[in-house]
Amino acid sequence: MNRRSFLRNSVLGTAGLTALGSLATTAAVAGVAKAPIKLTILHTNDVHSRIEPFPEGSGQWAGMGGAARRAALIKEIRAKEANVLLLDSGDVFQGTPYFNFFGGELEYKLMSQMGYDATTLGNHDFDNGLEGLQRQLPHANFPFLIANYDFSKTALAGRFQPYKVFEKQGVRIGVFGLGIELAGLVSERNFGETVYLDPVETARKMVTQLRGPERCDLVICLSHLGYKFDNSPNKIHDLKLAAEVAGIDLILGGHTHTFLEKPEAIEGPGGHKTLINQVGWSGINLGRLDYEFAPGSKRPGLAGAAVVPVRDVC
Amino acid sequence: MVLFDSLRYRRGALLVLLVLATACQRAPYTATAHFVPTTSQGVSKTQAEDPVIAALIAPYHDKVTAQMTEVLGQAPTEIRKNPGESPLGNFVADLQRTRASQALGQPVALGVMTNGGLRSALPAGPVTMGNIFELMPFENEIVVLDAPGPVVQQLFDYAARIKMGISGATYTVTFDGMPKDIKIGDQLFDVNQERLWPIAISDYLASGGDNMVFFKSITPRHTNILLRNAIADHIRLLTKEGKPVEGKVDGRVKAN
Repeated sequence: MNRRSFLRNSVLGTAGLTALGSLATTAAVAGVAKAPIKLTILHTNDVHSRIEPFPEGSGQWAGMGGAARRAALIKEIRAKEANVLLLDSGDVFQGTPYFNFFGGELEYKLMSQMGYDATTLGNHDFDNGLEGLQRQLPHANFPFLIANYDFSKTALAGRFQPYKVFEKQGVRIGVFGLGIELAGLVSERNFGETVYLDPVETARKMVTQLRGPERCDLVICLSHLGYKFDNSPNKIHDLKLAAEVAGIDLILGGHTHTFLEKPEAIEGPGGHKTLINQVGWSGINLGRLDYEFAPGSKRPGLAGAAVVPVRDVC
Repeated sequence: MVLFDSLRYRRGALLVLLVLATACQRAPYTATAHFVPTTSQGVSKTQAEDPVIAALIAPYHDKVTAQMTEVLGQAPTEIRKNPGESPLGNFVADLQRTRASQALGQPVALGVMTNGGLRSALPAGPVTMGNIFELMPFENEIVVLDAPGPVVQQLFDYAARIKMGISGATYTVTFDGMPKDIKIGDQLFDVNQERLWPIAISDYLASGGDNMVFFKSITPRHTNILLRNAIADHIRLLTKEGKPVEGKVDGRVKAN
């Protein structure tokens, strides 16, 4: 069974029917038919300092991407949708001379201007060390969500938060971040005394916190763990995370630069389904998922999802 | 807040009802997705630019362009890379050794750079910062390894197989691809001598890149100098001294 038909059969086929059933019931109980609350999630990953579109003649992605076009696209969507969350899954830094010359300053300024709601940390965001990251933080007006790096012994102690709850028309959306193991990937002096915590255990704590005291209706994980690693059976990745941790609705992934055509649904413990999405790299695409929250239930129903390519003007 | 409260109330009512009606709905968050016709839009090729963002980028773009087109020096002939002892390999390995020695304030005996680490040749004519980026796109740092005799021997064994030049040394490759008559500085190399030889190298190669596995066990000394910056600085210095940018095969590797 291919991924797309798996998604249809499992999510649309079985759960879809019960969702429609409960919608009808809810309307009957409430006695009022109200329009569902819609939430649009836009996301990027591994933008890698790709400020301008790939130059002409640069191969497969020539003419694709570019921050100014992405910004215009986001603006268009915001003009049409009341509730938009714009999220990023890390590796904002490294890849073009813009990073070499300005150390990430322009990347953060652009994200701030575009109205990003949050990002997490990728391994390349450590490329100029903890100091290099610290220097650029004043240019970012959005939070960095990272739950499994402990910075308390570093100069960045207290600068990041594990999660953030966004509220849209009464719907509470909990977003937390997970980063990849830095040892072996990032040179030690660049991450210093940052302590890496187990992502699975951390994610369970996050879900407990967000589903419990924070009363969230939707739980999103910004992950820079990677979509999957076929040759490293012991390495954690998004597919494994979804299968092992109950209660995450959506994993917005990164690191592996994976182009997913559609979000992938993974059944976790207790039958809860987690959607995973990742949209390649370099801002070639803007990911989009639309959720609907039925009145009364506030349970999310995924209305639509798409990978929106950022293309050349012709 | 009124809306919020009523929503919460209704959720409570719904939960009670569901628990009574269908036990399978009790799980806190079963996926309840239902697909309606997609509301997402594909972006056509007519995607315009956001003028605010474009204006924010413009001054940075100009600075990048100005820096990338900055002429650092003049190369009378192309500085090529080729298998065996190569002009570009010698050029980079030499400046790397000089720079490391300056940074640490002590002599550095050897300098190592492989062909694989250098991504393109330096063309004849004006040498720009853009050329240096093409040559060295990676954020490689110059480090120094203090290698004992047996590791130095392994380095020359590796070099001899591909007739690679090593800065600070000369040697001869035997007919069966082994190094002999290795001289470091003016001294004949003795593998059994109780001492360490400092080697200037990129952090990439020092960590075992290009199959230089014999270096992996040595803890590098950092210079905090990016190799790309070192190359650019060296070319600027040559220009300041009125010298052309040249790389030469000088016979540091002799083949039988």
